[in-house]
Amino acid sequence: MANVTLSKVRKSFGAFTALEELNMEIAAGEFIALLGPSGCGKSTTLRILAGLEFPTSGEISIDDRRVNDLPPGKRDIAMVFQSYALYPHMTVAENIAYPLKKHGVKRPEREAAVRQAAELLQLEPLLDRKPKQLSGGQQQRVALGRALVRDPKVFLLDEPLSNLDAKLRSYMRAELIELHRRLGKTMVYVTHDQLEAMTMATRIAVMHGGRLQQFDTPEMVYNCPANRFVASFIGTPSMNQLEGRVEGGAFILGPDRIAIDRTMFRDDLADGPAVLGIRPEYIQIGRGPLQATVRLAENTGHETILTLELSEGSRITARVEAGSRHKVGQVLSLGLQNDAVHLFEPGENGARLNKEQTGAAVIPMRAQ
Amino acid sequence: MPRARHLILNLVTWSLVLLIAFPLFWMIITSVKPQSELFRIPPTWLPETVTFEHYWRLLSETPFLRYFRNSVVLATTTTLFVVSLGTLGAYSLVRFNYRGRETLAMLVLFTYLLPSVVLIIPLYMMMVAIGLSNTLMSLILAHTTFALPYALWLLRSFMEGVPKDLESAALVDGATRMGAFRDVILPQLLPGIISTALFTFILSWNEYLYALVLVNSDAVAPLTTGVMSMLISAFNIEWSLLMAASVMMSLPLIVVFAFLQSYLTSGFGAGGVKG
Ligand SMILES: Nc1ncnc2c1ncn2[C@@H]1O[C@H](COP(=O)(O)OP(=O)(O)OP(=O)(O)O)[C@@H](O)[C@H]1O
Ligand SMILES: [Mg+2]
Repeated sequence: MANVTLSKVRKSFGAFTALEELNMEIAAGEFIALLGPSGCGKSTTLRILAGLEFPTSGEISIDDRRVNDLPPGKRDIAMVFQSYALYPHMTVAENIAYPLKKHGVKRPEREAAVRQAAELLQLEPLLDRKPKQLSGGQQQRVALGRALVRDPKVFLLDEPLSNLDAKLRSYMRAELIELHRRLGKTMVYVTHDQLEAMTMATRIAVMHGGRLQQFDTPEMVYNCPANRFVASFIGTPSMNQLEGRVEGGAFILGPDRIAIDRTMFRDDLADGPAVLGIRPEYIQIGRGPLQATVRLAENTGHETILTLELSEGSRITARVEAGSRHKVGQVLSLGLQNDAVHLFEPGENGARLNKEQTGAAVIPMRAQ
Repeated sequence: MPRARHLILNLVTWSLVLLIAFPLFWMIITSVKPQSELFRIPPTWLPETVTFEHYWRLLSETPFLRYFRNSVVLATTTTLFVVSLGTLGAYSLVRFNYRGRETLAMLVLFTYLLPSVVLIIPLYMMMVAIGLSNTLMSLILAHTTFALPYALWLLRSFMEGVPKDLESAALVDGATRMGAFRDVILPQLLPGIISTALFTFILSWNEYLYALVLVNSDAVAPLTTGVMSMLISAFNIEWSLLMAASVMMSLPLIVVFAFLQSYLTSGFGAGGVKG
């Protein structure tokens, strides 16, 4: 069991800054998801933890020991690379056995470990093949196997399930959760799939543009997003964000007034421009102060996503039951569930203005 | 119409092939003709009697074998030097970030652009100064200097084709830098190393000018200069011996090529990383 700390880590490639002042404290045994859009610096963070990139400044420690100057092999980590990085001239079995060999494990134990990993990852029939004779998903499982054979302090996984089909992915997701529960190892898991992050992680680090946006439990990230980016990035369809003004006990949206409960928001909430956020599931169709026209109704089978145009022109999405019959062009009245309203500062990535623990009922994400 | 074009194309290609192959053919034919048939007019296309007496004479009565051994030592050592230095140099140029890396690479190539005549005198003076004149080592060093720049560039492009993540993975898996180099990079680089080795070996085997200038003792002369000085004098050229020597000089190259070519085409490398 080892904790991992990044403090004030910066990384620039020439003039380009990939990471700006990253601070993260990961407790021993946590399962951390690094979540964010492409190019936000997830892999860079992982490579810095692994010792494959040097931070431009800042400190990294693993198991309370500063590791800035330790080479990757001495950090006692295992890593799955986004590109898999399988050794092309070695068979699957040799690939998986390689880290054990480099750590001086004897042949019989090595073979047993390889067999065990192959069983877990359903790779037994492929052990004698070379990587180029495997499909993308099979290669990815070999990469995972090469990381899982060892017993390191920390696992670093860079999108290890991205190339698997839906069925195998959910199987592997369950296996990884189970594995984490059994081994209790610290894991840092990079993904841009929020479902993976929400279901697997004990905490999620949401990143954007080289900055950490929020580092909290899945419930908090979903229910109390720190800012507009997190609010829109987590959840599908993403949270509606409407630009307007706060005036006393109301949010002014074009011609409409939406009553808000000021006690839910920070005491320093002032009148003036703001952004109102509300998730699609908290839009109440059929009653309320707003008028909207149905522009699109998408039935996904278990629910219907409505795209609605408000009278002042902005569009919002609402999640309704699958059975409900709404026609394109139909005019509806709607309201917002009052305790599910978020307010954000205006501006591209305005901070959330709610008091911390408000928000609609907390949804339990991962039963521990 | 396409038929005619096809025909013409074939005709042109085959005449080119014949043009190039004819001297080789004539070399082999001449080497097995008896002396009496050599200058007969009209010439005989195929020898009436096949004889290996020239080969026998070459091996038993001349220092051919010594030249041959010198050439083998020269070309092999040069190849070893060039490949090991080139591989490490290319690794450094591709993997390490340091100031002036690109400039260094260009500079190395620049030496290759100079005509060898320009370099030969300074090289000779240097060899004399360090007491290596008239040794095989001086030739090995000289050949290394002119084969290395090209080898470095060749290997550099091969090295660029080896994904960085492979090495990173080996490092994370617990290998040292040298260990990762040996376990992961070298096997990936093998086709590049073999092509470079072939190129260097051929270059060194066939080199004439440096051998002529740097070495004038018969004891350390390689085949190119040795055979020439032995068989060609102002008054007389021993054609049949010369041709037999030429055939035997070409043999190692053909053998090496035939042996290594299968390595070049066996398609190492592919499939290691995604995309
Ligand atoms: N060696 C490098 N040189 C220059 N820029 C780099 C280098 N490595 C990464 N970057 C840049 O740093 C940023 C972050 O890269 P990183 O690979 O960490 O993204 P990521 O979050 O893993 O994205 P993805 O989800 O696409 O894998 C990108 O804009 C990338 O272009
Ligand atoms: Mg990445």
